Amino acid sequence: MPQEAGDAPGAGSSPAPARRRPRILDGWGLLVLPLVAFLLVVFVAPLVSILARSFTDPTTGLDNYRDFFGSPVYLDVLGNTFRISGLVTLVTLLLGFPYAYLMTLAPPLWRNLMLVAVLIPFWTSLLVRTFAWVLMLGDTGVVNQFLMSIGLIDEPTQLIRNQTGVLVGMVQVMLPYAVLPMFATMRQIDRRLVQAAEGLGARPISAFWRVYAPLTLPGVAASCLLVFISSIGFYVTPALLGGPKDMMIGELIVQQLSAVLRWGFASALAVVLLLVTAALLLLVSRIVNIGKFMGGER
Amino acid sequence: MSQNPSTTSTLAGTGVSIDIRNVVKTYKTMTAVDDVSLTIEPGEFLTLLGSSGSGKSTLLNIIAGFIDADSGSIEVGGKDLTKVPPYRRDLGMVFQHYALFPHMSVWDNVAFPLKRRGVAKAQVAERVQRALDVVELGHLGKRRPAQLSGGQQQRVALARAIVFQPQALLMDEPLGALDKRLREQLQLEIKRLHRELGTTFVFVTHDQEEALAMSDRIAVMRDGALVQVGTPVELYERPASRYTAEFLGESNIFTGRTHGVDDGSALVVRPEHVRLSAAGAELPSGHNALDGVVREVVYLGSGLRVEVALPDGRHLITRSEVRGALTPSPGLPVAAHWHPEHALVVRDDTAA
Repeated sequence: MPQEAGDAPGAGSSPAPARRRPRILDGWGLLVLPLVAFLLVVFVAPLVSILARSFTDPTTGLDNYRDFFGSPVYLDVLGNTFRISGLVTLVTLLLGFPYAYLMTLAPPLWRNLMLVAVLIPFWTSLLVRTFAWVLMLGDTGVVNQFLMSIGLIDEPTQLIRNQTGVLVGMVQVMLPYAVLPMFATMRQIDRRLVQAAEGLGARPISAFWRVYAPLTLPGVAASCLLVFISSIGFYVTPALLGGPKDMMIGELIVQQLSAVLRWGFASALAVVLLLVTAALLLLVSRIVNIGKFMGGER
Repeated sequence: MSQNPSTTSTLAGTGVSIDIRNVVKTYKTMTAVDDVSLTIEPGEFLTLLGSSGSGKSTLLNIIAGFIDADSGSIEVGGKDLTKVPPYRRDLGMVFQHYALFPHMSVWDNVAFPLKRRGVAKAQVAERVQRALDVVELGHLGKRRPAQLSGGQQQRVALARAIVFQPQALLMDEPLGALDKRLREQLQLEIKRLHRELGTTFVFVTHDQEEALAMSDRIAVMRDGALVQVGTPVELYERPASRYTAEFLGESNIFTGRTHGVDDGSALVVRPEHVRLSAAGAELPSGHNALDGVVREVVYLGSGLRVEVALPDGRHLITRSEVRGALTPSPGLPVAAHWHPEHALVVRDDTAA
């Protein structure tokens, strides 16, 4: 079952070792064996079982997949998942790009503070943060109270149980995943290139877009990929902050698993989610070297 | 490339003068440029020469507009550019680190300044090709900078800096990252470019040989200030101070009380003007002489470099022919002598 954030980055980096050149398995190489064994037991085996169940439960055949692709309700959930993930990716990019850029310009002390600020979500429980958003964005929450007190609105605006709530919650969770790869790319860009461009007659804004921005593209692509793929598997945040219309595939899987007890169908959904993720990774890896930006090969 | 002068002549610019007036730049604790005034003539090849920290690069960056001076002014071609941003100064700049745009092909790199100036497409193609031909890289336009050697990259940077016919070309240690052989080859190419383009060149280096080989005039800088400005010959043969004498070429320096010379002065004798004779031999009349013992002989191919130990513990360097009258070997007592006209009295400005 997809567990937000925690699971998806793992899935994101898994293709990298596969593309790596084979190495001689010497004494040190043997040290990976415990991890391999662990993954076999807790990841590969369940995956195989899920795959098998999706084709056999309740009857052998493609019924589960036929159900899914034959029903507009379920396809809507998939569409929702893509739409929300896409929006989250867009918003984190728009917020994260200038933030990462500022980090490269800031003096060391400020840069560290900015880094801590963006990492705090990593160190706080997801549930705590999500419930905090419920309190903040609710009808009697801080935001509505404030907007009413300054007279901007007369009655509470609905900020949760709809797409806005999901976006706010997910963007906050995903922001570090957007900022860090972009920052890593940007800090390696030689700023003197921008200066050179200005010396050659480019206005500062033109120098930025024609020289600096294109050089950030690998980091931007890595950020988008990481955020989008992680977002697809979100469950807790949309469940607590979203409304019934904004159901994402993670929620549907939980519902099918624990409420309707259609384990075979839930398995099929999980397989679809996995295949979509893999397809995306494959697609993007043709454009950028993913391994490099997941901290793998150079 | 030199067989194709028509290629360069179409890129030729007109030399403009550069007036640097009372430029001062101070950082927190140090003065990087200390009230420098200098006029660079139209079409001149001027080198700012100094060791690291002498302020030569800072001064060049102030001319380029990348660094704002605290006070003073920069005029190029009679126009005050002090407050003009770099992108409107119309000066070509070549950096030690090349500063080629890694995401663009060689061709796009060279086309960059033309496109920023809104040059028509057909003309861009023509001028880029011409600029690349001038640096003999016409066939490599499709490559990325990373696929080129250091020397080729710096030639691309040169092509990019001249393609838009800038008012002047500024070069900040452009050959510093290259090995010796390549450096000498590019020195010649830059000289040729300068001759054919007629543009004003301002060149920064810490390498005195490079400065002597390339420049019309050299401005020696030290601690942010100009020490001496002059042609290579003037600086080498008539250094105004001990610092210049020691910085350009090898020197034998004598300090202290000398006949008719005030304290605070030093006597400079270039090694090639010092001659060696066997101890006790008759010396040419009027020569100044010092007795000593040969300490070391280095064979340089074109000549010998001989170190003579003087009785007071100092030593003297001479250069002499391989097959001269005297064959020096370590331990041989000699007289080192020179004609007084080769002994220069200069200001001793190296004292702490």
